Amino acid sequence: MAGFFVQYVWLIPLFPLLGGLIGGFGATRLRFNAALPLAIGLAASFLFSLGAWMSAGPETTIVVSKWLAAGSFVVPIELRVDGLSTLMVSMVTFVSTLVVIFASGYMAGDPSYPRFFAFVGLFVFSMTGLVLSNNYLLTYAFWEGVGVCSYLLIGFWYARNSAADAAMKAFLVNRLGDIGFAIAIFWLWTIVPNNDLSYTNVLADETLRNLPDSARIGIPLLLFWAATAKSAQLPLYVWLPDAMEGPTPVSALIHAATMVTAGVYLIARSTAMIALAPGVQVLICVIGCATALLAAAIALTQNDLKRVMAYSTVSQLGYMFMALGAGVGGVAQLAVVAAIFHLFTHAFFKALLFLASGSVMHSMGDVIDMRRFGGLRHRLPYTCWTFAIGGLALAGIFPMAGFFSKDEILLALAAAPEAAHAAGASWGWVYGLIYWLALLTAFMTAFYTGRAFFMTFWGPEKLPSPDDPEAPRGDGHVVEGDDPGHGHHHVGEESAPIMTIPLMILAGCAVVVGVLFGSTGWLEHHLEGMFGFEGLGHSEHQFGWGTPILGMVAGLAGIALSYLLYAEPNPAPARLASTFRPLYRASLNKFYVDEIYQWTVMKILWVGAAVLRFLDIEFVERTIVGIATAPRAIGRNALAVYQNGLIQFYAAASAVSIAVLLLFLLFS
Amino acid sequence: MTDLLTIDYLRDYLLVGAALFALGMLGFLSRRNLIVMFLSAEMMLQGTALSLIALSRYHGNWNGQVFTIVILTVAACEAAIALALIMILYNRRASLDITLWHELREEAAPAVVPALEEAATAELVEAIEGPETYPSLTPAGLEPEHPIQPWTERRR
Repeated sequence: MAGFFVQYVWLIPLFPLLGGLIGGFGATRLRFNAALPLAIGLAASFLFSLGAWMSAGPETTIVVSKWLAAGSFVVPIELRVDGLSTLMVSMVTFVSTLVVIFASGYMAGDPSYPRFFAFVGLFVFSMTGLVLSNNYLLTYAFWEGVGVCSYLLIGFWYARNSAADAAMKAFLVNRLGDIGFAIAIFWLWTIVPNNDLSYTNVLADETLRNLPDSARIGIPLLLFWAATAKSAQLPLYVWLPDAMEGPTPVSALIHAATMVTAGVYLIARSTAMIALAPGVQVLICVIGCATALLAAAIALTQNDLKRVMAYSTVSQLGYMFMALGAGVGGVAQLAVVAAIFHLFTHAFFKALLFLASGSVMHSMGDVIDMRRFGGLRHRLPYTCWTFAIGGLALAGIFPMAGFFSKDEILLALAAAPEAAHAAGASWGWVYGLIYWLALLTAFMTAFYTGRAFFMTFWGPEKLPSPDDPEAPRGDGHVVEGDDPGHGHHHVGEESAPIMTIPLMILAGCAVVVGVLFGSTGWLEHHLEGMFGFEGLGHSEHQFGWGTPILGMVAGLAGIALSYLLYAEPNPAPARLASTFRPLYRASLNKFYVDEIYQWTVMKILWVGAAVLRFLDIEFVERTIVGIATAPRAIGRNALAVYQNGLIQFYAAASAVSIAVLLLFLLFS
Repeated sequence: MTDLLTIDYLRDYLLVGAALFALGMLGFLSRRNLIVMFLSAEMMLQGTALSLIALSRYHGNWNGQVFTIVILTVAACEAAIALALIMILYNRRASLDITLWHELREEAAPAVVPALEEAATAELVEAIEGPETYPSLTPAGLEPEHPIQPWTERRR
């Protein structure tokens, strides 16, 4: 039985693809049932993933078919069924099943309803393929696949300019990162034995030992570059907040739970190689920390509920990279487990938070500005309490899922200075600093989560109305009646059960996955079945009460502060904002990162493009046109004369030619 | 195939074959009458066939003879098709002159036989009722008359 699920593991990507295709091609016939085949396919994939989970082993791979073969360069479609890939694939299929069920209610009434589910099917196909593939090149192909799906889904309401722009921005920024991945693959190809890019070969001890010094630093750097784009880290995180222009289920599935974790997955998968470059690891850690802090600082003042969640996602991804970067020397195993564990729990509670935000948005008639509604806890009871559970998990409060995973990351960070010192590195103190910054980030996370919750659900009840003084601003987001999207129901009513039930299931997961997988050590045990995990450095860590208590205190303090400031209408936040006006303005305007990019990178690119255009027109084109006139002139003036249409002339010409040829052959 | 040709006989045969081939080629290149050109092409084929047979006899194997039979078959097919084509061409222009057909030339290139330019662009003659006459050979060594013969010429 165990072998069965490994044998047929390729069905996991195939089911969602088929479901999406049936929904897409049967669009006219199925109409608003188009979600059904996809939901069935996803559920089947989830069952297969569970089966594969049970039979995962570090060396289990299966060759499905041959993909590329060019001389000695062969890329089979080979899938790896180890601890990491089964964990990811189970999480992806589970979350996407629930999101699709939610979306079937959320998107009801949209004229392009079947198209949405066709794209989601394609996305899940690419994502499961990405985590299952056993080859850098195949991973890269699927990596591009999820990028395309992300583009298609962000721009789902393409008639709206902001959505089309956001989709283009996401696509272009991701291309920038993909360059890094592509170069890393080219480089690897030149140095690994047999030109074999499979993980089995590249991450083998033998290969890693023989890597040249430049590649030992360069390839991890390039892979991390790729990860910064896909997983929204500094300096390439700018696309993710804008990606919230897509439908909310897309934000939940792609831009919170699954696709943005692909970078974390890539780095975790390549840990064996990255552990050889402690300098790169500390860079990953620093960038993760900077991103987490910056995004949390921006999230403090945002008024758009989905944008708060978007920056929170960026911040939490930064947390994961902090963990991965902390994996020096003996901490390597702990760090990978912590990062993957946080990825795992984050997928549940962040998908939950996004879907709950979507539910709020749905009930409020597509208004998402938190200043325009409030006190919704009686009107939207299910949404309120599931949001609360998700928020507590995000804030890292015991016994929610986030507590355990965040705690593990902090533990890894706390152990890192000593390990770095033992490994002979002089920058151990950086990890110590990052530990405290991570705690600060945890405090801020709890604060903005609490703020979003209290502004939305607490205080006196208030529904959006056009008379609201805040209304005309609209925060650049959806203006009422402007939405080409989903159907409207009565403003201020709780969403239908088809939307609240997935919320409840996810809330249940947000409560239990931490206890179930973390405290019992199940997840760590499962990850021991990851390829190359055994080879990573590990040492005994004694459990200390200090870190969990500090993390918990930071979370509780953040929530308490947000309760004081936002639970009831209160002049204090406004007073604070005017006291620290420059800081407040900077945070509200996202620290002007987009503007800075506009004025530096974009300007340079424009100038470069203008120069290249000039060169192209003045030199390249003229040269080519000049060269092209020569054959035309020769043909017209010299050769056309002989095409006189007389059969006998042609016959004579061929007779003479043959005679000359024969003479040549005879006398040479 | 017991008695093989001696080298002297072979030489004679090859000379005759070459002469046939050369005469055929000369005819093909110099005559403007479609039927005569066709006959000349046949003559070239016969010259080749003769050489093949002679060499086959000289070397004592059958390949040349088999090949010649194939050539005869092909020549028969070719005769059928070529004559049919010639009929159609004659019906279009009421003449067997090859130079009337040079539409395939490059447009920029000048017409090689300027006098015929007008003839080539003249209206195609319409078929008329009554029994048809068939093209006849121009006597050898005479230049065909130009430009197109009037249609009544066909009834002569």
